[in-house]
Amino acid sequence: MLKKLLTMKNDSTQKTLIVALLLCLVCSIIVSASAVGLKPIQEKNKTADIKKNILDVAGLLNDYTDIDAEFENIEARIIDIDSGDYTNEVDVQVYNQRKAAKDPAMSQRLNADSDLAKIKRRANFATVYFVKEQQQTRLIILPVHGYGLWSTMYGFIALEPDANTIYSLKFYEHGETPGLGGEIDNPDWRELWQGKKIVDEDNNLKLEVVRGKADPGSTNLPYQIDGLAGATLTSKGVSNLMQYWLGQNGFGPFLNKLKKENS
Amino acid sequence: MASDAKKVVLDPLFDNNPIALQVLGICSALAVTSKLSTALIMCVALTAVTACSNASISMIRNHVPTNIRIIVQMTIIASLVIVVDQVLKAYAFQTSKELSVFVGLIITNCIVLGRAEAFAMKNPVGASFLDGIGNGLGYSIILIAVGTVRELFGSGTILGYVILPLESNGGWYVPNGMMLLPPSAFFIIGLLIWGLRTWKTAQMEKPEYQIHQVHRTEVM
Amino acid sequence: MVSRVRKFLDRLHPYFAKGGPYEKYYALYEMVDTFIYSPPDVTRTSPHVRDAIDLKRVMSYVVVATFPCICMALWNTGYQANLAMANMGIESVPGWRGMVLDTLNIGHDPESIYANCMHGLLYFLPLYIATLVAGGLWEVLFAGVRNHEVNEGFLVTSMLFTLTLPPDIPLWMVALGISFGVVIGKEVFGGTGKNFLNPALTGRAFLFFAYPAEMSGDAVWTAVDGFSGATPLGMAALGGVEAITSSGVTLTQAFMGNIQGSIGSTSTLACLFGAVFLIYTRIASYRIILGVFFGMFLTAGLFNLIGSDSNPMFTMPWYWHLSLGGFAFGMTFMATDPVSAAMTDMGRWIFGLLIGAMTVLIRVVNPAFPEGIMLAILFANIFAPLIDYFVVQFDVARRKRGYH
Repeated sequence: MLKKLLTMKNDSTQKTLIVALLLCLVCSIIVSASAVGLKPIQEKNKTADIKKNILDVAGLLNDYTDIDAEFENIEARIIDIDSGDYTNEVDVQVYNQRKAAKDPAMSQRLNADSDLAKIKRRANFATVYFVKEQQQTRLIILPVHGYGLWSTMYGFIALEPDANTIYSLKFYEHGETPGLGGEIDNPDWRELWQGKKIVDEDNNLKLEVVRGKADPGSTNLPYQIDGLAGATLTSKGVSNLMQYWLGQNGFGPFLNKLKKENS
Repeated sequence: MASDAKKVVLDPLFDNNPIALQVLGICSALAVTSKLSTALIMCVALTAVTACSNASISMIRNHVPTNIRIIVQMTIIASLVIVVDQVLKAYAFQTSKELSVFVGLIITNCIVLGRAEAFAMKNPVGASFLDGIGNGLGYSIILIAVGTVRELFGSGTILGYVILPLESNGGWYVPNGMMLLPPSAFFIIGLLIWGLRTWKTAQMEKPEYQIHQVHRTEVM
Repeated sequence: MVSRVRKFLDRLHPYFAKGGPYEKYYALYEMVDTFIYSPPDVTRTSPHVRDAIDLKRVMSYVVVATFPCICMALWNTGYQANLAMANMGIESVPGWRGMVLDTLNIGHDPESIYANCMHGLLYFLPLYIATLVAGGLWEVLFAGVRNHEVNEGFLVTSMLFTLTLPPDIPLWMVALGISFGVVIGKEVFGGTGKNFLNPALTGRAFLFFAYPAEMSGDAVWTAVDGFSGATPLGMAALGGVEAITSSGVTLTQAFMGNIQGSIGSTSTLACLFGAVFLIYTRIASYRIILGVFFGMFLTAGLFNLIGSDSNPMFTMPWYWHLSLGGFAFGMTFMATDPVSAAMTDMGRWIFGLLIGAMTVLIRVVNPAFPEGIMLAILFANIFAPLIDYFVVQFDVARRKRGYH
């Protein structure tokens, strides 16, 4: 039969069909084999990537970190953003906040007034992480995202156990202008966030990124971060997304609960 | 045959470079060259795809019906690209994230289909494979050159190692932000072509018209 | 005196002429000679621009037209610096500039025109010299290799380039910018007359994208260390015209040009003087200048009508657009560059309108770039040959139909 196929006229309908069929068969086998065969490694990479970003914001990442071992000290929990309560409605291992934000059943549309971060839809649940040290919570890590100048910036913010002092901030994905807005990756600028407070004594949200340099004489200094030079809109985007996610429409209820537990 | 094989591999490097002379595959040369590491992975990916697609198309070249020729070639190339993409996602995750869609876009890279149609359909498997390697390397040379320049002057590093310490980190070098933007690759490729054609004058295009030249010293 | 220079040059001529020992350096000789005297070969063969007068006079006139801007540049740069120093309570100018000012006992009183101009001069001169040296090197190199003459066009390019820079920019950036402008904007296409982009703007655009923090940050526009303030257009992008006026900048100030900004393009008035001179001497096309103005006027009006809740730039009226940023400077000196603009009369109108409309579009709609005139002109430069092509085709088609 093979011999017959090889000697057949190339442009006959029969041979065209057979060649097309055989080709598709071979190609699909190769493609599916590689996709299925490599899937476990790819999944592992993906989870390791998220873990890496979380370890990074927690200040636990260097070139020699054993990611899985280090992650043993980190506990992930799902919370209902609106109420601020822990929930078991979704599995913490598989929950994907970005996918959920696109699913009408899992998310809500934001109206223009409250949508400071310009994200249009927000998932109902979020995964939060607790960095533990000898059974004590050392850091609380919250996922945040919002629109800058060109792109949606995705990041994590790490808070001290008092749920009001910022430990660090890290954007792991953004498309801002290199050298201007892209400086949100600059370690010097990120360092400015450490020790800043989110709310004042009366629980008013005061954290903001100011234009230019924060006034050292101002009573608001503990809540203010210098803007990025020449990147007004990216700075404003970061400021807005912080105010959204740390405010009452974001993680505000959750943070209030944590504070109550503390006191 | 030995000298033929050498010619097939080495010709596309400088004498018949797919980017510099044929001006093919420019899009990915802009998109993936802001860092040398992504450029390198892209080079490997493209070279692998071109070599393998050339070899497999050459293998069945006598049995490909003419009227579905292009579809057959595209199917083979597309399958290979998906395989390469999957492999990168598994073994070079970080880089493949940075390359994002551009690995997938190798399918549309004119070099791959161009070599399949122009070379692999008419030549034996071995030569076609070598031709794929050669053209992949020709593409790679330009990408590596562009990637090196862009990463060095845009971020002060090469492959992530600090060469020019940045002013913002206490060094002296002020990074050139344009090098991080895709259009800078146009300028660099343009200058490379200029250099290459000054070196290999045979590649210069004939001017469409010529203004009569007078030596300036003849005027007075 | 003058004739002695002439004699000296004539005596040198044989050394540089063909067959002489310095034949290779003829370009240098020719440059010095014709900067001082009119060239011996005035428009005998095909000129570089499609016009009746020779290129050298065109270019010299443009330099003359920038004089009001240069004067304004000297005074305003010094004035802004002295004013900021007075407000910040700084007593002495740091570095070599302070030494010069102290030695000459000039002081830094913002009320004194002399003190302002001298202080400004100390900023302007280094920028201009850096531009001339770096750009001139490339010019001479290419002229030597290609056996061309060094062109007066470069004098214009270097002056225009300098005037668009912020006063506080590092000199190596100036050198890099003009190098890019001259080489990529002009020489790679074969030199003056064959470039389709304005070289000064190409260099400026390079700096804008390469060193955005130095070219568009808050701290670069006034020549005092530690002083930071946004340009009016930067403020307007956030708060509209109210933001500008509440910061103390009036429309008159913006029009006169005693505000922070690029070294020599803040004054709309000075640019308009230049524009009148250029139009009167028929160097610049009034069609382009009016086209740019009306393009801006119409687009700004359109945005005023549309209005927007979230973008305060929509409400900015045309007279603010005219007075702020580099609009007047670009309209007068950059858009009218005879080499890179459209060549046909109709084409010049379209070319101008395109620039005016694009400028306002970029200023209002694009959040990243507060100023748009530079990008608008470069954009229109690219379209100029296409515009001319269609204008010519249109004319040909019309005449074929028999209408005249």
